[in-house]
Amino acid sequence: MVTTLQSLTVYFRYRWLVYELVLRDLSLRYRGSALGFAWTLLNPLLFMAIYTLVFAVYLRVDIVNYPAFLLSGLVPWSWLAGALGQGTSSIVDGRMYVGKTLFPMQILVIVPVLSNGINFIFSLPILFLFVIVLHVHLGPSLVMLPLIILIQGAMVLGAATLAATFNVFYRDLQQLILYILTVLFYMTPIFYIPSLVPEKFQFLIVWNPFAALIACYHAILYAGTFPSVYDLVFSLVFSILLLGVARGCFVRYREAFSEYV
Amino acid sequence: MIDAIRVEGLCKSFRYSTIPKRATLKDMVVRTMRLQRGVAVVEALKNVTFSVERGSTLGIIGRNGSGKSTLMRILAGILKPDAGLVETAGMVAPLLALGGGFHPDLSGREGARIELFTLGMDPAQVDRLMDQIIAFSEIGDFIDAPVRVYSAGMLMRLAFSVAICVNPTVLLLDEILAVGDEGFARKCHETILDFRAHGRTTVIVTHAAEIVESWCDTALWLDRGEVSGLGDPRAVVAAYHALTGQSLPEPAQYPFDLPKTAGLHGVD
Repeated sequence: MVTTLQSLTVYFRYRWLVYELVLRDLSLRYRGSALGFAWTLLNPLLFMAIYTLVFAVYLRVDIVNYPAFLLSGLVPWSWLAGALGQGTSSIVDGRMYVGKTLFPMQILVIVPVLSNGINFIFSLPILFLFVIVLHVHLGPSLVMLPLIILIQGAMVLGAATLAATFNVFYRDLQQLILYILTVLFYMTPIFYIPSLVPEKFQFLIVWNPFAALIACYHAILYAGTFPSVYDLVFSLVFSILLLGVARGCFVRYREAFSEYV
Repeated sequence: MIDAIRVEGLCKSFRYSTIPKRATLKDMVVRTMRLQRGVAVVEALKNVTFSVERGSTLGIIGRNGSGKSTLMRILAGILKPDAGLVETAGMVAPLLALGGGFHPDLSGREGARIELFTLGMDPAQVDRLMDQIIAFSEIGDFIDAPVRVYSAGMLMRLAFSVAICVNPTVLLLDEILAVGDEGFARKCHETILDFRAHGRTTVIVTHAAEIVESWCDTALWLDRGEVSGLGDPRAVVAAYHALTGQSLPEPAQYPFDLPKTAGLHGVD
């Protein structure tokens, strides 16, 4: 816990470096693209349309206000998937900084986490608009949203740090992460509700911290209620543990990075 | 005189893997099953002790693999020592590898900005220093071209300009002066002399005996991680050459004639 907090001071000390790199990452992403920021929204909207057609119309899955349910899970998921996909190769991609300059390696990892997070936050107003149009009654539980976003930020940073560290030694992870993300996506109730899962397989939901996180978003942005204590505490505890473990692995192996990148 | 750098009993070893660098998951699994550990230990620095006074220049010499670059990385704070004491005063600006710190796809300007932020500058300072850096480096319009199109000399000009313009207390140069042309090398030398006159400290790793003899106040000779000689640059270089079987090279072998700076030794 203490070391995790200490590691946060590095981000503060190098805040201008982080600011510069996040800004560059965001501007590079939209440079030369006609739709720009709209791409961030088009992705979840496209999947919302496809899943609604396939599951609600073709397969006749009966979930109330299905498009709103989909959207309130897909938008936060795209932060996780985007940051983890980009973050896994971040240390390897930043090889020109490794071991030759004072550039702190943690910064390489937090940049995609923040740039994808900023994308997510900027798409929130449009998400609100959509769910309101789709007749969701957003309630006082909205005040919990910043906390959930912080929990997700810690979780994504922890996962990305861990993945980036091991990717230095085993590049397979760079390829593997896309499959891991696909598996996680299907294992997390984003296009189905937990009650549809048979009793026998409920443990896959109960023990999935990402399911707990997405459930918090569903509560606030779809049901208009407060997240359950279980979902909140589980995702919070998991994010702190993951960040701690990731930090530990990173510190243990970082001196070896320059030999392997 | 206050020391700018103090190193006492410094030790550093590396554990490196004998497993091929581009190991795949399959290799790893196979090796784990065969119970191969594949780890070797190399002692890069053994009980190294020296100090550098403020306003002086230290030259480090030694054969390849003698621990020079490891020492520089420890002085820069990039690596942590296993044992011993390392103290540096004020801001340390390292220039340790050509192209280090510059992303090939970013422009020289963007790379320089990132380097400045890495050295702890804030946006106002960065904006103020940029013009100075561009002027000093003399690379002109290339500042906005991607770094991958830069020649080695241009890259060195830019990196050196960044390091000098932040006005650090300690400047670390690891074997990068050799790629500059005659004019810029002379400029570097003048800058380092000026730097030194302002009480700043420079540490240079080089294979050019002339640089050690005429730029430096002290020389440190590292051999297999240990200090083999420390003191007067001419004496240390002579001892180094005597042992490595090299004769003293011709005075003007380095691509320019250096002004003789013997008189400067009296400055301290």
